[in-house]
Amino acid sequence: MVLAVYGGLIVSLGWFLELPTLRLTLASTRTLFSIQLSLVGATIAAFLAILLAAPAAYALSRYRFRFREVIDTILEFPIIVSPAALGAILLIFFNNPLGEWIQDHAVRFVFTFAGVVLAQFITILGVAVRLLKTSFDEVPLELETVARSLGATPRRAFFTVALPLARRGLLAAFILSWAKALGEFGATIMVAGTMAMRTETLPIAIFMRLASADIEGTVALILVLVATGLAALSLSRWLLGKVAHA
Amino acid sequence: MLKVESLRAATGGFRLRDIDLKVGEGSCHAVLGPSGSGKSTLLNAILGLLPLQKGCILLRGVDITHQPIERRGLGYLPQRIGLFPHLTVLGNITYSARARGVPAEKYQPLLDKLVEATGIGELLSRFPDTLSGGERQRVALVRALASQPRLVLLDEPFTALNESLRRELWWLMRDLQSHYGLTVLLVTHNLEEAYFLADTISILIDGEIKQSGHKSEVYSHPATSAVARFLGINNLWDGTIIGQDDGALTVACPTIGVTARFPGTMNPPAAFSPVTVGILAEHVSLRDAAHPSKPSEHVLTGQIRLLDCNGRWLIQFHHDSSPLVLDLYAAQRTVDAFGLTDGQTGITIGLPPSALFWMPREE
Repeated sequence: MVLAVYGGLIVSLGWFLELPTLRLTLASTRTLFSIQLSLVGATIAAFLAILLAAPAAYALSRYRFRFREVIDTILEFPIIVSPAALGAILLIFFNNPLGEWIQDHAVRFVFTFAGVVLAQFITILGVAVRLLKTSFDEVPLELETVARSLGATPRRAFFTVALPLARRGLLAAFILSWAKALGEFGATIMVAGTMAMRTETLPIAIFMRLASADIEGTVALILVLVATGLAALSLSRWLLGKVAHA
Repeated sequence: MLKVESLRAATGGFRLRDIDLKVGEGSCHAVLGPSGSGKSTLLNAILGLLPLQKGCILLRGVDITHQPIERRGLGYLPQRIGLFPHLTVLGNITYSARARGVPAEKYQPLLDKLVEATGIGELLSRFPDTLSGGERQRVALVRALASQPRLVLLDEPFTALNESLRRELWWLMRDLQSHYGLTVLLVTHNLEEAYFLADTISILIDGEIKQSGHKSEVYSHPATSAVARFLGINNLWDGTIIGQDDGALTVACPTIGVTARFPGTMNPPAAFSPVTVGILAEHVSLRDAAHPSKPSEHVLTGQIRLLDCNGRWLIQFHHDSSPLVLDLYAAQRTVDAFGLTDGQTGITIGLPPSALFWMPREE
């Protein structure tokens, strides 16, 4: 049933699919830039999210501390707040004195590639923490206790026991975060805008084509996005299988 | 030697209260207690996972109360063994040496001896998920001992094994303990395991050590009825102190109709204090014409209410003229000699008053 719903929607794109348009769209420099921008942006955002999420997820999984529940709820923030609202919050932040200082003295985010990455990063960070926490929860604490009784420092126990045992979940978290970043639209359009050949990710390119009533071009880009996403997820499944048997 | 002094610790709503414990160098001490008595909490406190509210832990004279786990010099064998599933057997047993940066030439001789003693030489390149339960236990033992711990902590590590494998590993553990002079603290609810492996035992109930001492002393003279019941002693009845003279105590137990004298009693309670009187099932004997009672024995007649074989025969005796129910044990040949059957009447038993023990009655 579920397959029929999604499969049917994808197949229905065929009504407006024109092969010459598809070829032309795929070969266009603008489309290739969007694909490249989306892939690179999503990869950097997912990498940064995992890097930042891992310690937070580990702490939430392993330690009982004051305000843990509150922190846990705050981490749900990007999940319950719409991406557009998140993007708006970011935009407002870069208009306050601290945000302006960051823009002027560190990295310029608004209407730049860095803004694309930041928008994607903020959107996926909560998901990454949630997924990684589940992975760490599945590693029995007892194993780290044993490692420490055998002379390992907490840091060594983490890197030699917890992290290798959570590697499958880590990879899954990276891939799912990456896929979510790849399809991110709301926050990206708020922070980075819709500048062709600068901040136009694939979802934004789809929006732009549809806004100019170019249905065939929209269909072609949707197919590119779906194909890229499916290829990445298939690759990830294959990798997860390899990790599981390693 | 491990010395735990006045230890207090809490986790959730549970508290350990003023725990005192001593484990002699090269000996094995078992902490026995029912589920929820605080055994794991005590182990976590000694391991360093649970901060103490009060008290201290000394290991070979060094205060380790505030030391991190990795510096305590402990070998820990948890209930679920805790082999690292992503490492081979070799990776597991050399983990400690790598973690402590010990060069191979220093740890290899001991490791070779342990591998040989436990027979895991063929398993070194295998991963834990390909090992049987017994093999995993052996690997975990080698891993814990290879770190040359000052104290080995065993948290019911043999519970999940079948009977024969468990016994095999008990023997192995006992051999390793005596060969390497290991100081071991075993935490278990299994009486048999504790009696087999330990020299001394402590009974932990409701977060308090109720009794400590040599295993035979604790078993034959339980300090409280809670300890006695935990040790599987069901022959307990109400009694009253009816006399005191020259350090000897006279206790009457109307339920079994016996008045017994207990000489050499230290700090006896006041006269007419309520006490609990008991006798071990092992000390009650079956009697008939061919096996007459001794003059000093108190004799009761009744019927067999239950005859159950669990390695040895447990006989539940029901007194004819009172509601008294009493447990006794018998070997197969005794059961055959007396021709015992379930529900049999006209059974005579003998209770030697000298085998009775008493303890202050708990409310």
